[in-house]
Amino acid sequence: MFLAAFSPKDDREASPDAALVRQLLQNDVGAFEKLYDKYCRIVYSLVLRIVQQSGPAEEVVQDVFLQLWRNSAQYDPARGPFVPWLLTLARNRALDTLRLKSERQRRLENQADELFSVVVAPQYEKELDEKRRAERVRSLVGELNPQQKRAIELAYFQGLSHSEIAAELKEPLGTVKSWIRNGLIRLKEGLHTAS
Amino acid sequence: MYEAYALGALDPPERAALEAHLATGCAECAKSVAEARWLVSQLAYLAPEASTSDMLKGRLMQTVRSETKSESSPVPTGATTTPAGISYWLSAGVAALLLLTLYFAWDAHRVKEELRASNEQNQRNEQMVASAQNESAVTQQKLAAMEEQMAKMHRETAILTDPASVKIMLAAQKIQAPQMVAMWHAKYGIVLTGQKVPMPSGNRVLQLWLIPKAPGGKAMPSMTVRPDANGNLVILVSNPPASGSDTKALAITEEPAGGSAAPTTTPKWVGAMS
Repeated sequence: MFLAAFSPKDDREASPDAALVRQLLQNDVGAFEKLYDKYCRIVYSLVLRIVQQSGPAEEVVQDVFLQLWRNSAQYDPARGPFVPWLLTLARNRALDTLRLKSERQRRLENQADELFSVVVAPQYEKELDEKRRAERVRSLVGELNPQQKRAIELAYFQGLSHSEIAAELKEPLGTVKSWIRNGLIRLKEGLHTAS
Repeated sequence: MYEAYALGALDPPERAALEAHLATGCAECAKSVAEARWLVSQLAYLAPEASTSDMLKGRLMQTVRSETKSESSPVPTGATTTPAGISYWLSAGVAALLLLTLYFAWDAHRVKEELRASNEQNQRNEQMVASAQNESAVTQQKLAAMEEQMAKMHRETAILTDPASVKIMLAAQKIQAPQMVAMWHAKYGIVLTGQKVPMPSGNRVLQLWLIPKAPGGKAMPSMTVRPDANGNLVILVSNPPASGSDTKALAITEEPAGGSAAPTTTPKWVGAMS
C-alpha cells in the first residue's frame, strides 16, 4: 500500500508503548495491564462522553481493550503512534454503540476499514504526558468561538456530518464547513506553536 | 478537507470524491490525511475526565488471564483422534443430541412465550423509536438508549434460544428461594434469570461471580443487579471468557451497592458448569 510510505521516525517505533504492544504478541499479561493502566482513563473518558451512560461505556472500553489483547498484531508501530490508533478505535466503537442501525452507523462501518490506516504525527509533535496534552488541547479549543467549538464537538463526539450539523445548528452548510475547517486549522497551528 | 475527512464529517459525495483521488496513489494527499487523523485524535482530550470502576479492570484481567491459560493448556490425555475414538464420540454425540431434542421439546412452550413477549416488547420499542426520530438532540440520546435496549433484548433472545447455549441451574444456599437459571453462549454471552428473588436489604445488590477451575483461582466479578418489585431479575453478561471451559461454577452473593472486586459474603446461589 502506498500509505505505508509514511513511516514515522525510528525513535517512535522504539517507543515504550510500541514495545509493550509487541509484548502482547507473546501473551504478556503484565504488558497488557501496563497499557490498560496508562490509557484506560482517557479511553473511558472519550467513550463516556460519546455514549453518555457508564454501563455501556464500560462495555465499549472492555471491547476495545479485549480487541487490543486478542488482535494486537493489527497494530503496526511502523504505521503510526499507538495512542491515536487506540483513540480512533475507541471512538469508532463508541459511535457504533450510539448509532445502532442508522445510516451514520453504516458510514462508520465503512470507516472501520480505516482503523488500521496510517496515522502520522507531525514533525513538531513531542511526547507529552496525558495531563499536559489534555490541558493544551482544551486550552486551544476553548479559544474558538462557541459555535465553532460546538460544530467540532458534534462531528467528533456524535459522528454527525456537515449536513447534519448544519441542520442541528440551523446554520448554512457552507458556514458549518468553514467553522470546522478553520477551527481544526487553528488547533493544528496552536499545537505547532505550543510545541 | 483532509481534517473533515478524518473527522468523518464529509457528506457522501465529497467523501467518495476524496477516496477516489486517494485511490490514485497521490502520496501528498495520503500524507495529509494521515496527519489529519492524528490531529482529529487529539480531540479526545476534550472529553471530561472520568474513571472506570475497579470491577472493569478485574473482569478484563480475569478474561485475559483465562485466555492465556486456555491457549497454553495441553491437549487432555483422554482425547483421541483414532477411528475407534471417533466412533465412540460419534455414538456419545448422537445420544447427547437425543437428550437435547427431548429437552427442547419440553422447553419449547416456555421459549415460545419468551419470544412472543420479546417480540411484543420489540414492536413497542420500534414504535417508540419511530416517533422519537422526529425529536431534538435530547431525544436522540433516548433513541440511542432504546436501540441499545433492543440490541440487548435481541442478544438475550439469541442466548436463550440457541441450542449451542449451555444451561446452568443455580440452587439457593440456605435461603428459601427458587433456583436461578443461566444460559451461557460462547459467542453471545451469559443470560441469568431469576423469579421470586428476595430483595437485598437497603441498597445492597446481587452480584454474579465466575468461579475458576484453577485451584486457588480468584472469583471473577461480573454484573450486579437488584430484582424488580415482583422479584424478577435478568442479567446479561456480554463479554464473559470466550470459553466456559476454565470456569467451574457460577455464584451469586449479596454485595454493597456498586458491587465488589472480591466476594464479601457467602454465595446465596451456586450452580456448577455441566
